[in-house]
Amino acid sequence: MAEAITSAPPLVRRRSIGELLARDLRALPIVIGLVALWIFFATQSDVFLTARNLSNLLVQSTVVGIMALGIMFVLLVKEIDLSVAAINGVTSVFMAKIIVEAGVNPWVAVPLAILLGALIGSLSARWVTYVGVPSFVVTLGLGLALNGLQLILLPATARYSLNGTGLEKIALINISGNGAWLVLAIGVLAFATLVLSEATSRTKAGLETPMMRAVILPVAAAAVFGLIVVSILSAHKGIPLIVLIFGILLGLGGYVLKQTQFGLYLYAVGNNDEAARRSGIKVHQIKMAAFAIAGGVAALAGVIAASRTLGVGVFSGGGVGGGTLLLESIAAAVIGGVSLFGGRGSIHAALLGALVIGTVSNGLNLMGVENEIRLIVTGLLLVLAVSIDKLIEKATGQQSF
Amino acid sequence: MTDMSVGRERHVQAQGAAPLISMRNIHKKFGSLHALRGASLDVHAGEVVALVGDNGAGKSTMVKVMAGAHMATSGEYDFEGKPVKINSPTDANALGIQTVYQDLALCSNLDAVQNLFLGRELTGSGLFGRRIKRAECEVKAREVLSRMRLGNLSLTRPVGAMSGGQRQNIAIARSILWTPKVVILDEPTAALSHSAAEQVGDLIRRLADQGLGIVVVSHDIHNFVVNATDRIEVMRLGANAASFRTGDVTGEQVVNAMVGGNEGVNLAG
Repeated sequence: MAEAITSAPPLVRRRSIGELLARDLRALPIVIGLVALWIFFATQSDVFLTARNLSNLLVQSTVVGIMALGIMFVLLVKEIDLSVAAINGVTSVFMAKIIVEAGVNPWVAVPLAILLGALIGSLSARWVTYVGVPSFVVTLGLGLALNGLQLILLPATARYSLNGTGLEKIALINISGNGAWLVLAIGVLAFATLVLSEATSRTKAGLETPMMRAVILPVAAAAVFGLIVVSILSAHKGIPLIVLIFGILLGLGGYVLKQTQFGLYLYAVGNNDEAARRSGIKVHQIKMAAFAIAGGVAALAGVIAASRTLGVGVFSGGGVGGGTLLLESIAAAVIGGVSLFGGRGSIHAALLGALVIGTVSNGLNLMGVENEIRLIVTGLLLVLAVSIDKLIEKATGQQSF
Repeated sequence: MTDMSVGRERHVQAQGAAPLISMRNIHKKFGSLHALRGASLDVHAGEVVALVGDNGAGKSTMVKVMAGAHMATSGEYDFEGKPVKINSPTDANALGIQTVYQDLALCSNLDAVQNLFLGRELTGSGLFGRRIKRAECEVKAREVLSRMRLGNLSLTRPVGAMSGGQRQNIAIARSILWTPKVVILDEPTAALSHSAAEQVGDLIRRLADQGLGIVVVSHDIHNFVVNATDRIEVMRLGANAASFRTGDVTGEQVVNAMVGGNEGVNLAG
């Protein structure tokens, strides 16, 4: 019994395939699926794997990817925000209005729009936590109300053009040549610094740290991955600024979720809010922060979308009801592996999910398939992705973490 | 439970010293419901006290008053010989009283280290709020776990993937992470197999041997209470019904005291 195992050193457990799949390699099925999609489309279209098209695909995936990244924070705390698309629309229209009609500097208008998005998010969180109305209802209603507000804010022409404001350039800027490699170097260096500081603090604390597995392999993998991406992008026009913004958000998000106390509390609250509360975690504040992040990030995505479409209008934020933008954003997070039941999901979910949805859209478009089919395929993929996740769970006996 | 007798000797010695906790003549009313009617309980360092009773006997209310989750309507509460006023679980924690609730309050998606430190992480400054000092948390977690002879628990698996006994152990480890003086355990063996319950009993014994006072609320009279404790306090109708030295009684006698039945009535099942 306990006596016999007292002095046994901590075992370095060899994990089973099932356990690996359920935890560290949770992203594997989705990566395999993505590769399969790419192979399929490569056989169907000669253009699919060109640098130009892959670059386009990445650009097309950013708005949904950024939205998914924001929604992820809300899903982690076991809530949902159905108003993110409406926040995206109304804040971008608000921003365009003050730029065009009041002549506000875009450098002021953009942060203001993001702040407004965060404020709207935190307000719905307050409604959810203090009044006790489920977030599904609060944000569904709020989304419709914001759609109405968006229409009111728009002028009689139903459109504000952002041409000549400078904002339209966001979507046009590419970082090419040495600049692209510099960006990559900075990114890899930042990641290496983080990983190394983690490893040194472990060594200092007297914990055994496998340098190879903990430092060299992850950094090498990140460098190789970055090299491939930057090479492809450089072969076209360089790193599009909006892709870089998405990349920076992914990096920051990953850091927050993995390293900070706040990130840990998101997972704790989403898994067992009563336990979190008893541990002294201010559950309401954590939820409010999650909604504020989703709202702010949605507004930022709105700015980028406005820049891509050179203006805002009824269509901003996916149009009335959120349209495909809302559904695809949530679907991207879920396809990427974020649980709708809270407490599970890593930052790469936003990237992988958005890439899957972007790939389907881009590839079918190249094949000349109608938009209707694209919706059907995306919908089926969502169900398939979650089903595979569930099947792994059943097969390995692992609960959804 | 080989070291049972050692524990009992310690307990006998401990009787001489002032108790860690002394609750006397505690009353608790919830509106018209008189849940505690002058109940008393002493907890000594190094002893395991079982608090038993039928449903509604008041044992849960009693430990909640002890843990600061409820406030007594009247009565005396001394901690280490001095009268104290405990208004909240935080007050109790500050004195060194920790509670392990029956639901364990663990997050199944987090690992042992994260659960042990939840809400009390060792952190440093960082970007976007406090950054967790994972390495230092891990070192302290290892230290506490090996002191409890639980050194073989995985620190990196989500606790949801662990057995019920392991989870119970983590919940107990979490309560002693900040070196309390008294640990209250609510039904620690309720959902456990016989062998897992035995291991929890061993763990509790080791904690008591390190000088902690342990209070265990349990329904598991025959397997757990009469084997793993030093003293059994029986409550009935909000008051003390009987007090036994473990080893002097059988499970049947304890059960009889619980239900207030006569000698020979056997409700053991």
